[in-house]
Amino acid sequence: MKERTLDELLEDCTRCGRCREVCIVERLGGHSITSFLCGDENYSSWLCSSCWRCQEVCPQGVDIHTIMMLKRREQEPPPGYEANLVNVMSFGYALPMDDGVNELRRVHGLDAVQFMPAERVEILLQGDMVEKQEDR
Amino acid sequence: MERIALFPGCLVLQRMPQYEKATKEVLNAIGIQSESIPRAACCGAPLESFTDRWLRFAAYNLSLAERMGLDVVTLCGNCTNTLLRANVALEDPSLRREVNEVLSKMGLRYDGKTTVQHLVQLLTERLDELRARMTRQLSLRVAVTHPCQAFRPHEVTCFDDPLEPQAMRQIVALTGAEVVDYVAEHDCCGSTLYLVDKELGLEAGRRKLASVAGADVLVDACGNCHLLLERFRGFLGNSERGSKLVVLTLPQLLGLAMDIDAADLGISAASGRAIAEAVA
Repeated sequence: MKERTLDELLEDCTRCGRCREVCIVERLGGHSITSFLCGDENYSSWLCSSCWRCQEVCPQGVDIHTIMMLKRREQEPPPGYEANLVNVMSFGYALPMDDGVNELRRVHGLDAVQFMPAERVEILLQGDMVEKQEDR
Repeated sequence: MERIALFPGCLVLQRMPQYEKATKEVLNAIGIQSESIPRAACCGAPLESFTDRWLRFAAYNLSLAERMGLDVVTLCGNCTNTLLRANVALEDPSLRREVNEVLSKMGLRYDGKTTVQHLVQLLTERLDELRARMTRQLSLRVAVTHPCQAFRPHEVTCFDDPLEPQAMRQIVALTGAEVVDYVAEHDCCGSTLYLVDKELGLEAGRRKLASVAGADVLVDACGNCHLLLERFRGFLGNSERGSKLVVLTLPQLLGLAMDIDAADLGISAASGRAIAEAVA
């Protein structure tokens, strides 16, 4: 698949502002990727509720999600996202999974879960990620 | 009995066995047996902001379900969206080849044979079966909050109206409950926002709950929504204290209408009492 660069993805945008109108972050007083699309540099690519409303209403069909993901890789992540990343890379889940999880499941009458073995996480992460990003 | 592979996702797995249990009870009642996927991992969503490796995690989970010969049913909007987009992305032969090279080291293979559906979508296809199992009419006023990412982007989910989904309203109506409108019905709960900016996330939740005033029950169908709107209610401020609104997951409400014991649905004693009072 030919991946489009940030500039190519932005070519479709006419700065009509429809995305910003429906953005809950903007309504709450924050500035999301939709501000960036409207030409405003005061925004954070991380400030997003992941509701996908902006992309759904875009009359040009701009791939706002991918634009945001590319901008995120240039901007410092918030601690919450970083913690989830570290968790997934360490043991395969966004949140810590221990025996307590299965104990709680037992209390609720659920079967015990077989967790993902650590060596499988390593296999899935094989390869140099930084290099991959620079490939873009 | 028909079988599906249930993918609860990290949040529900770690913190909300009640949601998963209620789902299994309700699906069982309509003749669907849900099985856990052994050694399943995170769907991959938290990786996407950093690396393209997210696709491998999604493909890994889908390949496990594929080996079981089962379709996947999700409980969380974010997992749904991620796994569905992975299925689309992996239609590309070169990406699929790359992913399969990695999966082959674990004796696995992704062939794109497993479909992914959010619980709401599955239930929408089983309205007749659900209706037949409703043994108790719930005289409640119920507001619904929709799992955003199970409906958007529409080109991937191909389900319901993407901006004003109706599926959950239709399902809830089967219980005999009155489905009430409220201003913030189609607004995001704020849960993912909380991860970046706690105050903005809580403000989204606050506005949602304030707008729901007048309903007995707010029903959600996503681990993220349930986290912010139910588990974090204590952080939502004074206006929320003393409110009698009960926040339930969709299968918990359906289970009540099927006369399944509240304890088996993971409904707390306090919530059970509040519902009993509202019904009386």
